[in-house]
Amino acid sequence: MLSIRFHGRGGQGAKTASRIVGTAAFLEGYHAQDSPVYGAERRGAPVAAFTRIDHSPIHERGVIARPDLVVIADASLIRDPAARVADGVDERTVVFVNSSLSPDQVSVQAALPGRLTALDLTGIALREFGKRGAISALLGAVAGRLSGLHRDSIRDAVARELADLGLSSAVIERNQAVALDCFDQVPVVSVEPGGPRPAPPVQLHRPTYDAPTKGTASITVGPNSGLRSMSGWRTFRPVLRPDLCNGCWLCFANCPEGAITIKPDGKPAVYYPHCKGCLDCVEVCPTDAMTVEREPQGVQP
Amino acid sequence: MTWEPQIFKTLHQIPREEHVFPGTPLCAGCGGLESLRLAAKVLGSRVVYVDAAGCMTNLAAFPFTPLDASWLYTTMGSAPAGAQGVRDALDVLIAKGRVPKEEDVQVVVLGGDGSTYDMALSSTSGAITRQLDFYYFCYDNEAYGNTGVQLSPATPYGARTTTSPCAVQHPAGTTQEKKDIFEIWRAHRPPYMATVSPRFPLDLEEKFARAAAYKGPKLFLAFAACPTGWLFDPAQTPDVARLAVECGLWPLKEAVNGVVVHTYWPKLTPVEEYLKLQGRFRHLFEPVVQTEAIAHIQERVHGYWARVKREEGNS
Amino acid sequence: MTAEMMTGNLAAAWGARLADVDYVPAFPITPQTEIVETLAKWCGSGSLNARFVTLDSEHSMMTAAGAAAATGARVFTATSSQGLLHAFEVLYTVAGWRVPLVLVNVSRALASPITLEPDHNDVLAARDCGFLQLHAETCQEVVDSILLAYRIAEDARVCLPVMVNLDGFVLSFTREPVTLPDPEVVKQFLPPFRPAHLGFTASAPRSLGTAVFGGATYSYFRHQLHLASLNGLRVYEEAAADFERLFGRRYDPVEQYRMDDAEDVLVMTNAFASKGKAAVDAARAQGRRVGLLRLRMIRPWPAETIQHALQGRRAVAVVDQNLSPGQGGILFQEIAACLYHEALRPRALCSFIGGLGGKNLSEGEFQAIFEQTADAGVRGTGIGPVLLFTESEHREVEQLQFLAHELKTGR
Repeated sequence: MLSIRFHGRGGQGAKTASRIVGTAAFLEGYHAQDSPVYGAERRGAPVAAFTRIDHSPIHERGVIARPDLVVIADASLIRDPAARVADGVDERTVVFVNSSLSPDQVSVQAALPGRLTALDLTGIALREFGKRGAISALLGAVAGRLSGLHRDSIRDAVARELADLGLSSAVIERNQAVALDCFDQVPVVSVEPGGPRPAPPVQLHRPTYDAPTKGTASITVGPNSGLRSMSGWRTFRPVLRPDLCNGCWLCFANCPEGAITIKPDGKPAVYYPHCKGCLDCVEVCPTDAMTVEREPQGVQP
Repeated sequence: MTWEPQIFKTLHQIPREEHVFPGTPLCAGCGGLESLRLAAKVLGSRVVYVDAAGCMTNLAAFPFTPLDASWLYTTMGSAPAGAQGVRDALDVLIAKGRVPKEEDVQVVVLGGDGSTYDMALSSTSGAITRQLDFYYFCYDNEAYGNTGVQLSPATPYGARTTTSPCAVQHPAGTTQEKKDIFEIWRAHRPPYMATVSPRFPLDLEEKFARAAAYKGPKLFLAFAACPTGWLFDPAQTPDVARLAVECGLWPLKEAVNGVVVHTYWPKLTPVEEYLKLQGRFRHLFEPVVQTEAIAHIQERVHGYWARVKREEGNS
Repeated sequence: MTAEMMTGNLAAAWGARLADVDYVPAFPITPQTEIVETLAKWCGSGSLNARFVTLDSEHSMMTAAGAAAATGARVFTATSSQGLLHAFEVLYTVAGWRVPLVLVNVSRALASPITLEPDHNDVLAARDCGFLQLHAETCQEVVDSILLAYRIAEDARVCLPVMVNLDGFVLSFTREPVTLPDPEVVKQFLPPFRPAHLGFTASAPRSLGTAVFGGATYSYFRHQLHLASLNGLRVYEEAAADFERLFGRRYDPVEQYRMDDAEDVLVMTNAFASKGKAAVDAARAQGRRVGLLRLRMIRPWPAETIQHALQGRRAVAVVDQNLSPGQGGILFQEIAACLYHEALRPRALCSFIGGLGGKNLSEGEFQAIFEQTADAGVRGTGIGPVLLFTESEHREVEQLQFLAHELKTGR
């Protein structure tokens, strides 16, 4: 069985990518299974999806703990502990990273034990589509290539899955073309489906009674959500040019997150660990003092 | 008569102090969170939020909360009843000397439009009828957003949701008209009601400050532009919110003891400007422009403002 | 203290009054309404220092009840049947908040067809929500159980809501002598409610009922409910011992009636257990060695006590006043499960379904139960589920069907 785990951020298309690969495998006559993980997290938050492919019926469900191929839709996920991209990755796992860096550079940065390959899907999407948005077809094509699926079945699967999302035929055709470019461009590292491995032993734990404050889903030390870094949610960041800022506070008022504070001099400042990169502040700024920069790849601020 | 803010006249009066802190798992560019953050700047921390199932339920996701106030998640259909229980218990415990008066908190219901317009309506009507002293904060993103954007009674004419697709039978998307929850509330004669938009932060802050003078049910209907559900880039949340007001689709108003006053006279920009920004209305423009549907939306806007003009006079 | 004649509903109201509750959210439903009417009157007159509020539904009522308890008030409320089901999701919600409150359910069969008289499909539908459950046979037991319920609910080892069940009509509207506990002595039995883990105050903000994501966290908290409920067994024993010392009445989790030398045993709950006791007496007079085991505590499930009481018997007949369509009697399943590992388990387990929708259980039907159970015990094979329904009752139903479908009125 071939097990593929996709990691992305909500809205990037990891789930659709997993379906493209599942459908392509199905079209080639394999037994296939794909499923996403749902959580509380929204657009921008780490999400995961899974595809299994086999010659015989698949007797497995749910999360893939020991993947043969890991597809990382956003390099910033590697350092996000919530994303858990390294779970079950060992030296035989193939890891694809969407990054503008070379596989070797990514390998050094990521410090993952797997065999790495990379392609700048975001850069391709920005160039070809002209805006940020889902890269599901591109991810699916890359994953399909690495899994040994055929070009034609990927093309068909992209069409089926994007049509299911209600996209117009023009958009689908454009996606097919760009996806197949990615199919052709991705540096191939051969994925070897893992055979059966012994289950790691577990020790069953027997919980005892907690006093009710601890024993129920309550929180008594709020506000504590600031402990979470939102940096990884961003593909772009707002950058203030103080010389252009007129100190009107519109950005401060309109930041949904409260990630913009007012300094003692009355000027705003973006606190990046709490910025999700929605860029509302850029939109409301009357003097164009808030500018946009693409996030550096794989590096946390 | 022109409505004038009396307290919040410049943006620099917006309190710097935060009560909804960063780090929530809500979508980037969430218009509902934007409103809540501004509201909390006036409401402060002496609050218990009684939450109905909806997007905001994710605010307090174990073990993190962005609030320096208390929180109680109830159900989708009964948050106002939860508010009733909390308020009553506080009153009783204070009267019996078991909770000091200075420990008292205000009760704020937090509900999305699905809960507010539909499932919790009985519970809400009961709470208003009993003259419960509470705030009701509805973040209206015009769909069941938390479940993936399905038709709600707040969904406006012409919008596409996952359960009101534009189909051969209904090329315009949904043909229902948005339920007028403001008037349903007003029929109960609560002391204070207002609609707000985070793109009009002074108007919003002013209304929360004014509401504090009234004991009893206080409604806030907050426009919650939703990039995820309405299909626009999160950066456009402020534009969408501004155009909703300027096109006359989201009137900013308040009602004190049932008397309605509009707090902002919009430019009445053509509704296309607003609709075009959002994927949920894209089918009205391509592959063919659905002139009738757009005209219908425009006519309703004009009808509304003509009535307002008659009733309140233009100034 | 002298006894007074009172209905089960009035006894329930007295339970709340003696517990000196702070808050009563209410909603009317037959046959519970008399409880909240009484409490409304007492709250109005000041004889009970509590706030009484009529909500817009049982769903809202249970939410308000849980929220007030979460704020730190001692809360009482009551419902029945459809009302309990209307509040269903809130039962699970407030149990998860770990709020101690007492809910009286006046049992009434469920629609449809809609009816008014009792059976236990309402209260047993709620067996998995996390509430503890005490089921009463007499009006005296109603008031006493409510006091016991507060004592257990508020114990730091439990902190769960408790449901006290009484049967509609046959208990709710039935008067019999009740000795009311002395309010001063109740104060010794039930300390003031000062929960450490609850309350919403300005200086101590608290988030309750937060969302959890991931099965491990959910599993842990859900299992905590189980441990808290199980703690209820020991806490109940302590409370029952104190109650007996202070008031002279003893309530075990299960009541054993003429069980000493019984070879066959009837298992029953609630008010119809009184009829079961009469049937045991009658059968004993005819020389049958039979006894009755009455389940008072349904959650937590007093498995060990039940095992101990039933081991070595020839046959056991469980009379379920409920029906799980496609399965049978609900309590039969639980009894059977807890006896499985007993080396000396009864030779036969028999399942009878009786008293649905308040249908009477006649002496003749009890006699049939004893006969069939004895035969099953001799054979060593169980029977059932057997519906307790007589030939003459069947003829009555046929007559009604004739009127409904066949007799033309000529209009």
